[in-house]
Formats: sequence, C-alpha cells, structure tokens
Amino acid sequence: MTVGTQVKQTLSSLKSARWTLQNFASIEENREAKDIFSRNAQLISDVIQDLENRVGQLEFEEPQYKGF
Amino acid sequence: MPEWFNILLRSAGLFFLTLLLVRIMGKKQSTRLTFFDLVSVIVIGVTTAAISLNIVKNLAGGIIALAVWTLFPAAIYLLAIKYKSVRDIVQGKETVLINHGKILEDKLLEARMTPEDLLGQLRKKNVFAFADVEFAVLEPSGEVSVFLKKDRQPATAKTLNINVGSESVPQTVMLDGIVMDEPLAAMGLNRQWLHTELEKAGVAPENVFIAQVDSAGQLYLDLFDDAIQTPRPKTKELVWATLKKCQADCELYALGTNRPEAKKMYQRSSGILSEVVKETEPLLTK
Repeated sequence: MTVGTQVKQTLSSLKSARWTLQNFASIEENREAKDIFSRNAQLISDVIQDLENRVGQLEFEEPQYKGF
Repeated sequence: MPEWFNILLRSAGLFFLTLLLVRIMGKKQSTRLTFFDLVSVIVIGVTTAAISLNIVKNLAGGIIALAVWTLFPAAIYLLAIKYKSVRDIVQGKETVLINHGKILEDKLLEARMTPEDLLGQLRKKNVFAFADVEFAVLEPSGEVSVFLKKDRQPATAKTLNINVGSESVPQTVMLDGIVMDEPLAAMGLNRQWLHTELEKAGVAPENVFIAQVDSAGQLYLDLFDDAIQTPRPKTKELVWATLKKCQADCELYALGTNRPEAKKMYQRSSGILSEVVKETEPLLTK
C-alpha cells in the first residue's frame, strides 16, 4: 500500500467522522453540546483540507496512483 | 324497581360521579397533604359506598353530602393558593427539627415526635447516623426532609472534578409499537428519520416495544421478542475511536515523510486532532 492510499483512507475516515459530528450537532438541542460538536466538526474540516492538499501533491509525484 | 337494580344504578352512577369529582379536585402536592385531607378522602369513600349500597335511602341527601365533602376541600385549597394566611391556618407550617447538626428538642416536643420517631423518619431517608444530618425539617404531611452535611452527600461529577459534558433529556418515540409523533417533533425529527434509523438497525417497526432517542439522535431499542439481542448503538464510541486512529495516522505520516513542509503539516494536523479528541471525549464516551 502506498503512502497515497493510506492518506486517502485516513481522509475518508475523517470525512465520515466529520459528517457524524455534524449530524449530532444538527440534532442536539442542548446549546453547549451543539457548540462543541459544530466547532470540532469545523476543526476536522481544516485538517481534511490540509490532507487533501497533501494527497494532491502525492498524486502529482506519482500520477500512476491517481484517483480512487 | 327491584332492589338489586337500584343498587346497580346507584353504584354505576356514583362511580362516574366520584371519578368526575376527583378530577375536579385536581392533583394535590403530597407534601402539603395534611391529616385533614386524609379524613376528607375517607369520608368521601364511606359516603359513596353507603349511597351505592342503599344504606342511605335518601339519594338526594347522599349526593349533597358528597358534594360538600368534595367541593369544600377544593374551595379551601383554592383560597389557600391565593392567600398565605389561609395556607398557614389550614395546612400548617414546616417545623425545623435539626439545625446546624443540632437536634432541636423543644421543636420535637412541639411536633409531638419522640426521638425514636425522628430516627425512624431519618432511616426512611436512608440516614442511619444523625450526625450526618446538617438540616432536617418536618413537613405538614408528616414526612421529614433531610439535608446532609456536604461531605456526606453522594459524590457528583462536579465534586469529583470530572467533566462529563452536557446532555438533554432523551425522548421516548415509540411505546408499545406505536410511534409518538409529539416527542419526535420536539426533537425536530420525523417518522421518515425514524424509519431510516430502524432500517439501519435492521429492525421492523412492528417488532419494537419501546424506542428512545437521546439528545444527540442515537436510537435505543427494546423489541417484543426477548430472544433477539439488538446491539447497543455505538456510533459515538466509534466516532471517537476513528478520530483517535486518524490522529495516530497523522503522527505516523509525520515520521514517514522526508519533506519538511509535509512533516510540519502532519504534525499540525495531529495536534488539531488530539485537541478534538480531548474536547469531544466527555460528550462521546461518558
């Protein structure tokens, strides 16, 4: 497994985790819990952005492993 | 008309009449229930029974008596709500029995309680050592309310300094196989969402006895068939475990890469993710 594949796997897990947190944030009525969930979903979004950039760089270096 | 028919009519009629009267009397706070309330309830019961059994031949007279004993207490209760002076006369005040850990013997005498009575009432509140009590008050209903000394009170998350996150009340969305739309709407969800969640759990709606949804939208089920084991929903724990895994992955990538910018990026991501893990821990795990 290349590094690219591994990073893509981590990326997918993070996306699913972010989606779950956003889901909780939308259903939860309690103010504090809602804020915590949405704030952390946002932080995860930042990390996802960084990782996606990195995946882009990796694919540039090794075009034969491009895409899923 | 024959005797038994008379009794049947009276009993049935009084049954519904008393039901109606009791609903009119409404709910009473049990702490304010005095001995007199008990007496009036007994009188109502005996009067109703006597009329039903035709012991009291005069039906009109019986119903008048019943009306007095139900409506007068209700009226006094209403007056008591409006005027504090009426409250004090009719319902009495609380008596402080223990203050600052010291038993007030003259108050006990006033309340006509023996020390054995006091200790018995404390034991009803699971207090076996009177030295644990900081404050105790005798309510008008005869019950003793106890406030324990701070170090004898059961541990709460706050006293142990544990952050457990905040959660709201879970809503019961299915009872006895019937979907309750009101609690669903209170959470901002609808039947479609519920059906989707049940499909996800692989359970048909007809099989569900009780279904509850916690404040984050997790569904907890109990089925009619007790032989089937439904797995407890673990979405929260799974999300938390996923986040921890991704954080560890980022650390691994940071070690594995040679490029300095990539290394820095991975380290930063790992830092952010460990913060997220720490912050969501009380909500997702406890």
